Amino acid sequence: MAVLSVEGLSKVFGAGELAVTALDQVGFTVEPGELMALLGPSGSGKTTLLLCISLILEPTFGRIVVNGHDVYRDGRTGVDVRRFRRENIGFIFQSHNLIPFLSALDNVALAMQLNGVDKRTSRKRARNLLEYLEIGHRADALPANLSGGEQQRVSIGRALANEPPLILADEPTASLDTVRGMKVMSLLRKIAREKNSAVIAVTHDHRMIEGFDRVFQMNDGRLSSTGDAGRTITLAPTS
Amino acid sequence: MDLAIKDVQRHLGKFAATIVGVGLLLSIVLIMNGIYRGNIYEGVWLIENSAADLWVVERNRGGPFNEQSRIPREIYKSVAAIPGVAKASPFVTFTVQRTTMGRDQQFTIIGYDIFGGLGGPGRIHDGRQIRQAHYEMVADIKLGAQVGDRVRLGVHDYTVVGLTKGAVDLGGNPLAYLSLSDAQEVLYQQDNEAIRASRAATSQRLERAGFTPDQVQKLLPLVSTGSDTINAVLVQLEAGTDPATVIRNAKDWLYLNVYTTAQESDIVLGGRLMRMNMMLGTFRTLLVIVSIVIIALLIYVLTVEKIKSIATLKLIGAPNWVIVRLIMEQSLVLTVASFAVAYVLVMLTYDKFPRTLFILPADTVMTFAVMLAGGVLASLLGVWQALRTPPSLALGG
Repeated sequence: MAVLSVEGLSKVFGAGELAVTALDQVGFTVEPGELMALLGPSGSGKTTLLLCISLILEPTFGRIVVNGHDVYRDGRTGVDVRRFRRENIGFIFQSHNLIPFLSALDNVALAMQLNGVDKRTSRKRARNLLEYLEIGHRADALPANLSGGEQQRVSIGRALANEPPLILADEPTASLDTVRGMKVMSLLRKIAREKNSAVIAVTHDHRMIEGFDRVFQMNDGRLSSTGDAGRTITLAPTS
Repeated sequence: MDLAIKDVQRHLGKFAATIVGVGLLLSIVLIMNGIYRGNIYEGVWLIENSAADLWVVERNRGGPFNEQSRIPREIYKSVAAIPGVAKASPFVTFTVQRTTMGRDQQFTIIGYDIFGGLGGPGRIHDGRQIRQAHYEMVADIKLGAQVGDRVRLGVHDYTVVGLTKGAVDLGGNPLAYLSLSDAQEVLYQQDNEAIRASRAATSQRLERAGFTPDQVQKLLPLVSTGSDTINAVLVQLEAGTDPATVIRNAKDWLYLNVYTTAQESDIVLGGRLMRMNMMLGTFRTLLVIVSIVIIALLIYVLTVEKIKSIATLKLIGAPNWVIVRLIMEQSLVLTVASFAVAYVLVMLTYDKFPRTLFILPADTVMTFAVMLAGGVLASLLGVWQALRTPPSLALGG
């Protein structure tokens, strides 16, 4: 079963002559353990697509199915949005977005505690997760005292805290140099394989394209073409 | 996880500085409370510590504090003769400004019957009561004198034989108690030049009226302005006496005004002290409002500083109550800690102010409750800002 299925997803801002179509009949599926890249110029609709998938923005039309559950269908949300995000989606940001007054460990544990895990268990699991991400020795450091790469690992740890089936990453390597960017990519690959989570990453970073299983190109709100290292996939907008 | 406390721990220096700043502001609120109460306390201290039930003053006058009241000294004997009066004592009060104890200062002289009369100093803090009819003084410690010091008033020196603590007039000036005759002398005695001028004027008037110089010399002592006047008669009633009856008798038969001690306090509070109290009350209210506004702005700034973190929290699924708690808790920490700083500061310094600060626990508790409610109210601005923050802000979109 696909982790995520998007069908005929459209997002129109404004109305009448001022209407702007940010997403136009977008459709695709992502399987467990799959690493998918969304490429495209600024304003092509990549971030809007992430916002719609995570129900931060309400789509205008279409359907979103996560793990077999209809979370959105033609103007209606069938879930508690915050809870849905806590349980099903992990977020990785370009600027890491760690809570600056929490240690690395607390940043990860917080995500678990928000999902109902008790303090002691969450701290233990957060420490294990940081060890898994090879940053356990920096668990008590504040974000300001971590390097960009270390911060991104903590951010990945937070995204994995509740073992979500879907991870959305917004430019995860943009603020890193090539070496650190490659490390993050290999980490995301490792996570996808070992945790069986699907990863969708918006990126401008062509250096990292080879690390993805599938690459989707977005232009003017449409998923116009895709490709990967070994093969080319053509996707037409769904109707 | 308590996000508010984690944030405070992380930015301890900044929070401490903010708390001290707001604490200083709140200490002014508490000081204003103290001044307000102190003003009332001092305003009626003399009245309420006179041990009198009634105040007899000049007819149609609101004296002796709100306006001048002058009645012949001997009238106290007539008052004492009214049925139901246990004791009636002459009383003189006037404020002077003299260079005393090395500095220019204002104080109020109280003249009373030192042989068991009303209106004298209550508890003596150091030394003793006045025992001699002349040249002894009991002063409040605010005057700066010690027992044994000599204070020059008019043409005589007065020896300080006792000290009181907290004996002040309406304006918070220290009281200096003298025997009635000494007080009258200080009040009415003119300097030699003034006496000469007065006598010359009287002589001229008499001579113009046809008296010979010899006759004028004989008449002069008789027509000189009398100085044996007092400001009020303090009355203590016999147990079970209806004050209204005594008041009516004094008004009808002696043509005097009579006030109960409660009425006298009301006259002072409603007259001389009213505007000052209104000013202090208004100022106090404004300070509370300013404090709450400042706390609101601080919480708003603290919230805006965390806006990206709040957006991230929303994005990763934090319910609204987590964010509201973060802001409200910080607001309460700020308010409570600032109030604690203010309270400690005021408790350490209140007795060093030039006027009495009367810190009532009820006022302090009420101010704390108002500030606490204000702190919650103040955090609403931050909460509003936080709740309208879109989670998409975390993605930069």
